[in-house]
Amino acid sequence: MCDVAFREINSKMVEATVLPGQRLFSQRGAMLAYKGDVSFTPNIQGGQGGVMSMIGRRIANEATPLMSVEGNGTVMFGHGGHHVQVINLTGDTLYVEADRLLAFEGTLRQGTMFMGSQGGVMGMVRGQVTGQGLFTTTLQGVGSVAVMAHGGVFEVPITPGRTVHVDPQAYVAHHGDVRNKLSTALGWRDMVGRGSGEAFQLELSGNGVVYVQASEEKL
Amino acid sequence: MFRLQGSKVLAVDMTGDAVKAKNGSMVAYDGQMAFKKLSGGGEGLRGMVTRRLTGEQMTVMEVRGQGTCWFADRASEINLVRLQGDKLFVESSNLLATDAGLRTGTTFTGLRGASQGNGLFTTTVEGHGQAAIMSDGPAVVLRVSAQYPLIVDPGAYIAHQGNLRQSFQSGVTFRTFLGEGGGEAFQIRFEGDGLVYVQPSERNTIAGDV
Repeated sequence: MCDVAFREINSKMVEATVLPGQRLFSQRGAMLAYKGDVSFTPNIQGGQGGVMSMIGRRIANEATPLMSVEGNGTVMFGHGGHHVQVINLTGDTLYVEADRLLAFEGTLRQGTMFMGSQGGVMGMVRGQVTGQGLFTTTLQGVGSVAVMAHGGVFEVPITPGRTVHVDPQAYVAHHGDVRNKLSTALGWRDMVGRGSGEAFQLELSGNGVVYVQASEEKL
Repeated sequence: MFRLQGSKVLAVDMTGDAVKAKNGSMVAYDGQMAFKKLSGGGEGLRGMVTRRLTGEQMTVMEVRGQGTCWFADRASEINLVRLQGDKLFVESSNLLATDAGLRTGTTFTGLRGASQGNGLFTTTVEGHGQAAIMSDGPAVVLRVSAQYPLIVDPGAYIAHQGNLRQSFQSGVTFRTFLGEGGGEAFQIRFEGDGLVYVQPSERNTIAGDV
């Protein structure tokens, strides 16, 4: 596998090299241009893992239409003028919302995670508050992923003893061994309509990286 | 201390001190932070009356703590301004954050304010410290000196500082009334000595239509 699957052409476009025998997945319709002999096949299953995974994704509402990209050439991806951030994974798991996924390498295993599995009922509440829903998409393995965000993206490292708080609307993705919980800073001021607008925060602790966008708008 | 991370994110390193920022503009922080709502337009009862009357009510929060706090707002470009005792005039919607030591207030702008599509009042920031202002696209800073006055489109103006006099000038001719205007019917003219911040984008103003 080549090291850099995605090259950032500018802040809103990435270019990928496709070689025979290697496969990429991308959001359907995100191809901007290509060179060489490349074919795009709509992927009814919406990703990998057979029919059961597909049903899982449908139920979880994490079924973004994907297509698989195969052949020999280079392809450019971009979507909706959103900023694109390339994240390289080296065996750990990336947690990201399915509609933020622009493209990823076929070497990564795609899965769906139930928010309740991290923190039980509070996990489910967290999913609702952050607008992530009850499920989120995971990608695991070695390879790279192109993720979309509104505005530029910056990464904040999380180390033990250095807990990071993120505005749920500005949260993009995270990877590593990270515990994730919703913290509330609700006080009497919020009750009387004098809140600071920062009542809910995602509290991330452990060891990894969180990606934050320079905007509080969802895609 | 204020520093830019890219052009759209403001990072503030704090050691127990405080900053004032636009409500809800925090995107991430590490360490310990507390958020408290303040109200713009000055302090106390006078400030409250001013806010009610002027409509220039920026909701501000005070962030206090230890660690790094990141601010951003709808992917706007951010510009840092250093104030050394002088006064910055800025539209409240374009002000992202200021040092807690800076005083904020409201002043009357008259006809110029109305032409900018922002109302008759504007926010002032005064004192020693740093402020972060936002613009739609990267802003340019233009110097005004005694022999070189500057004329700015009201929709592209975001802030100014220094010892400047402003006047309103109109390029309305008989063509404007025939619907053949050039779309630049009104301008603000700055004279004196100071800096003007201009964004590469125009807000919707009355002047843009005629």
